[in-house]
Amino acid sequence: MMSLFWFVILPLVSALIGYISHSKWAKLALMSMQLFFMTMAVLNLITVKTIGTKYEVLGGYPVGVGITLRADLLGSVMILLTIFLFTCLILYNYHKPYMNHLFMFLFLALQGLLCGLFLSNDLFNIYVLIEVATIVVSILIIFKKDSRSIYDGMVYFLSNLASMTLFFLGIGYMYKIFGTLDLTLLAERIALVEDKKILIIPFVLMITAIDLKSAIMPLFSWLPKAHGTASAPSIISATLSGLYVKSGIYLFIRIITLFDPVFDGREVFLIFGFMTAVIGFIFALSQTDIKLILAYHTVSQVGLIVFGLSIGSEYSYWGSIYHMLNHAIFKSTLFLTAGIIIDEYGTRNIREVRGVFKRMPYVSIAIIFAMLGITGAPLFNGSFSKYLIQKGTSRSFWFEVSFFIINLGTIMSFVKYSTMLFGKNEGRFKIRWNQKFVILLLATICLLGGIFGPFFMDILFDVHVTISASSYIDKFKLYFLSLGLGIGFYYFLYHKIGLFKKIRELELTFNQIIMAMFIFFSGFLTYMMLTYS
Amino acid sequence: MGSGYIDGSMVAIALFLIGIYGLLARRNIIKSIMSFGIIQAAIILFFLNINLHENVLPPIGDASPMADPLPQALMITAIVIGVSVTAVGLTMFMSLYHHYGTTNWKKVVAMRKEER
Repeated sequence: MMSLFWFVILPLVSALIGYISHSKWAKLALMSMQLFFMTMAVLNLITVKTIGTKYEVLGGYPVGVGITLRADLLGSVMILLTIFLFTCLILYNYHKPYMNHLFMFLFLALQGLLCGLFLSNDLFNIYVLIEVATIVVSILIIFKKDSRSIYDGMVYFLSNLASMTLFFLGIGYMYKIFGTLDLTLLAERIALVEDKKILIIPFVLMITAIDLKSAIMPLFSWLPKAHGTASAPSIISATLSGLYVKSGIYLFIRIITLFDPVFDGREVFLIFGFMTAVIGFIFALSQTDIKLILAYHTVSQVGLIVFGLSIGSEYSYWGSIYHMLNHAIFKSTLFLTAGIIIDEYGTRNIREVRGVFKRMPYVSIAIIFAMLGITGAPLFNGSFSKYLIQKGTSRSFWFEVSFFIINLGTIMSFVKYSTMLFGKNEGRFKIRWNQKFVILLLATICLLGGIFGPFFMDILFDVHVTISASSYIDKFKLYFLSLGLGIGFYYFLYHKIGLFKKIRELELTFNQIIMAMFIFFSGFLTYMMLTYS
Repeated sequence: MGSGYIDGSMVAIALFLIGIYGLLARRNIIKSIMSFGIIQAAIILFFLNINLHENVLPPIGDASPMADPLPQALMITAIVIGVSVTAVGLTMFMSLYHHYGTTNWKKVVAMRKEER
C-alpha cells in the first residue's frame, strides 16, 4: 500500500519527467500512470473502509509540529473521483493539438494539488495548496491566450487571491488562540473554549473565504467567468465545474464541522444555499451562451448542495455528498459535449444550434442522460441524491417547498438547454473513438449511479438507505408534474418576461466583487456578533 | 511589543484594511496588484507578532528564551507564495495590456463588451 503523500507528489514528478523528456511516448506513459493511480486510490479506499481513518505525519515529526495528512472516507472517495475524472479527461483530449507537454504538466499538477487538498489536515497546508492550485487553474484558463479568456482568468485569479488573504488572516487568529494549525488538535481544543466571542473573527474570515471559493450567493460572480469563458479548453471547464468547486464545498464541510461545538450557522447557510440555488437558475435561464448556461447552473447546484448540508438531517447530509459526486459526473459530461457542439457548429449561441440529435446521435444520447441525471429523473443518479435530500426536508413544509422550487428551476433551465437537440439538420458528424468512449462511459455512470444508488452509498460511505416503493412512485409523479410545469413555463411564459433580457449582460467588475466580499464579511460578522454577544 | 494599544498586530490589521481599501476602490490594475503586496506584508507582520515577547532570541541553535519558531517557518513559505503570486499577476496584466492597452478595470470591461 502506497503512502498517502505519493498521491500528491507522484503526479507532479511524473508530469515533470514527461515535460523534460519531450518523448513521443510521454503521453502514453502518463496515461498508464493514471491507471496505476486509480488502482492505488481504490486500494486506499478499501483500506480506509476496513481499518478506519488513516493519519500520516510527514517527516517523522511529532503531531502538531509536522504536517499531517488524513484520509477519511469522504476524502478517499473524493480522491478516487478526482483521479477517475482526470483519467477520463486526458483520454478524451488525447489527440488535441494543444495537449502538449506543458499542458499535461499543469493539468497533472492540478490533480496532485486537488488530491493534496482532500488529504490535508493542516490549515496552513490547505492555504498553500489552494494558492498554488489557483495559479495553476488561472494559467489553464488562459492557456489558449484569447483576449477574453485573459480577462476572465485574471478576474478569477485576483478575486480568489483576495479571498485567500482573508483565509490566511483567519489562520493567523487560529494560531494565536490555539497555538496549533492541525485540524485534529484544533477540534480537541475548540471544545474547551469558554469565551465563544474570540472565535467569531477567525470563523467569519474563513467562512467568507470559503464562500467565495465555493461560489455561495453574493460571491459567485467570478465562477461563470472562469468556468464558462469563451476559449478555455472544454476539459478545463469540466474540471473546474466538476471538481474544483467541490474542493470549496469540501473545505466548507471541514470548517463547519470544526466549529460545530461552538457555532451553529445552519440557518444562515440554509437561506444562503436556497438563495444561491434560485439566483443560479434565474441567471442560467437568462443566458443564451451554451457554456454560460452550464456555468450558472453549477452555481445553482452548489446552492442545492449547501442547502442539503445545512438542513440538519442525516439523510440530506449524505444526499448532498452523493449529489457532489453525481454533479461531478454529469456536469463534466455536459461541458465535454458542449465543447464538441461548439467546435462543430462554430457558435455558442443556443438559438443558432439546432438539430443536434440528427447530426450527432451519440453526443445527444450522452447529453440526454446527463440532463436526466441533473434534473433528477427517476432511475438516474440525480434522482437518488435528490430523493435523499428531499427525505430530510420532510420536517418542515417550507423546506419541501424550497426544494421543489430549486428542482423546478433546474428543470426549466434544462428544458431551454434541450431545445437545441430538436430540429432538422443535414450534416453528419463523425466522433472520434476516444471522445465517444469517454462521454458514453460518463453517461452510463449517470444511469448506474441511479439504479445502484443505495448500493454505491453502502460501499462508498457505509451508509445504508432503503427506498420504499410508494415514496419512489410519489417522486415519479412529482418529477413529471415539474417537467410539465417546466415545459409549459418555457414555451408560454419565458419569452414574455423582460427580466431575463435585462440581467443577461449583468456582471460585476473586479472592484465590485471585492465590494461584495467585504459586504458579506461585514454582514456576517454583524450577525455573529449579535447572535453570540 | 511596544506600549498601550499600538502593537504589531494592530498595525498589521490597519495595513490589511488599507490593502482591502486599495482592492475595492482603486480602478488601476497595477494598484490592485500592489494592494496584494500590502496585504501580504500585513499578514506576515501579524503572524510574526503571535507569541512574541520582549527579549526573545531568534530560534537558531540553543537560544534560551526562544521565539516561537513555527510562525517564522510558515512566513518563509508565505513570502515565497507572495512573490510568485505577484509575478503571475503582473505577467497576466502584461498580456492584458497588450490586448487592451489600458490599466483601468472599467475601460477593460467596456472594451470587452464592444468586442462581442
